[in-house]
Amino acid sequence: MKMLLMQCKVEMLRIIRNPYYVFWSLLMPIVFYYIFTKIVNTGVDDAKAWQAHYLMSMTTFSVMGSSIMTVGIRMVQEQSLGWSVYMRITPLPGSIYFISKMFGQTVMHAFSVIVIFVAGFLMNGVQMSIGQWIGSGLWILVASIPFLALGTLFGTMKRVDTTSGLSNITYMLMAVLGGMWMPIDSFPSVLQTIGQWLPSYNYGSGVWSIAAGEAPGLKPILILASYLILFMVLSIYIRKKQEAV
Amino acid sequence: MENIAELEHVSKIFAGKTAVEDVSFVIPRGSVTAVLGPNGAGKTTVLSMLLGLREPSSGSVRIFGQSPKDAQVKRRIGAMLQEVSVIDGLNAREVMSMIRSYYPHPLKLTEMADLAGFTPEELNKRADKLSGGQKRRLGFALALAGDPDLLFFDEPTVGLDSTSRRTFWQQVEALAHKGKTILFSTHYLQEAEDAADRILLFNKGKIAADGTPDEIVSRLTSRSVSFIADLEDGDSYAVGEMIHRMCSIPGVRDCKEEEGRWSVTADNTDTVLAAIFRYNIPARDIRTGQGRLDDAFEVMLTHDQEKEAVSS
Repeated sequence: MKMLLMQCKVEMLRIIRNPYYVFWSLLMPIVFYYIFTKIVNTGVDDAKAWQAHYLMSMTTFSVMGSSIMTVGIRMVQEQSLGWSVYMRITPLPGSIYFISKMFGQTVMHAFSVIVIFVAGFLMNGVQMSIGQWIGSGLWILVASIPFLALGTLFGTMKRVDTTSGLSNITYMLMAVLGGMWMPIDSFPSVLQTIGQWLPSYNYGSGVWSIAAGEAPGLKPILILASYLILFMVLSIYIRKKQEAV
Repeated sequence: MENIAELEHVSKIFAGKTAVEDVSFVIPRGSVTAVLGPNGAGKTTVLSMLLGLREPSSGSVRIFGQSPKDAQVKRRIGAMLQEVSVIDGLNAREVMSMIRSYYPHPLKLTEMADLAGFTPEELNKRADKLSGGQKRRLGFALALAGDPDLLFFDEPTVGLDSTSRRTFWQQVEALAHKGKTILFSTHYLQEAEDAADRILLFNKGKIAADGTPDEIVSRLTSRSVSFIADLEDGDSYAVGEMIHRMCSIPGVRDCKEEEGRWSVTADNTDTVLAAIFRYNIPARDIRTGQGRLDDAFEVMLTHDQEKEAVSS
């Protein structure tokens, strides 16, 4: 237990001290939110609904990014620095190491969610019921698990620069095609069809429903669960194969 | 004496290439063992199997009578590995606190700081911003975090300056005095000779020799007698006869002239000296010499390469 607490603390310290985290996960989404709700006139009919919707888009954008990128890049870094080999000769069980990584990440996500929500509230006075706020926050945290798994999948790669390049591209493509920047309705129909099957769209759609006062549908939950299983199986399979040397 | 580590007929094959072949040895408690050998001799592979990082292809590795992967074992060992950098985003003190939290009876943080020789400012420095030497000292303190019974150092002094090297070996000596069992790998022959009480000489994945530094030296070094012979110039008969006489002494391997000095290589230099006097060879400025382990090492390796060249 002492180990677990210590490890969680350490992981959080490492994330918060990472300048990329502050930039990508906090600053970027807030700036985007400001631009697309305050400066650019998007011409939507219901400005209030749009402001709530887009706040959710930006929060999911933030959390998805740090799930994929921070986890993946960090794992590759630790591998290439030999640090993860060193951890294997210490008595720290691999499971605790992994759990605290995921836990530390989730705590940081909760922090991002709070910061971005507060920013949205202060900028546009986004109004939702307490239940909606909490529900949205919880959805964003829980439904980020498939992206954490995707992060560990990127974490099996060998080189830091290819990992950061590839995960960045994946992240941006998923964000755009999943309607996190612009609602998917404005896309050509082919892109809409693709987008609907992406984990990013389903991640967003659950919380968009909550923000609009509805319960998330079954479809996004099922799709996200399938992606979670896919990413986990792949990541475990690759890791086992690498360790069998 | 209790055995801390036991390897029995251990082999390791990587993608069809044999890195370690049928290696067996035991490490008794309180010993300081050097695993010595040229690059690619299998030293690091043996160490990583002892540490449970790699699985032997065949044979068994036991530490404290258990599998090296056992958590009980990991609580009692410490290691400094090659090519391990430090974790990012944490300062030296945080890294130390983190690692010591893994062990049931860790050293105090102040003891670890002393072992690393860190000042309070250095302790507050981000670990990834430390200099190479400081990182190594941090690694040393981390290896000792759990107050281990068995310590592994893989090429511990590569890249260190001579002062840091000396400090390191003094610390190792102090640890040995406390009864810690130490195993280190090196390709610095001098270090193995000075710091260890036993040398396991590795070559091409096998143990080429196993013994005290003295034994290794006497087994593998060449001794020689050298002198200046006052033979008349062009007196080929005298030269030829001398070479013939020297070479017929049992144990003499070579008799050759280099820049005016004759040198006779033999197992026993006394018999060579006796022969010089017996045959009235006009020798003066007679010196006897013994090669250091460096030479022995060289001899062994070139010897092996010659054999290989012959067989291929």
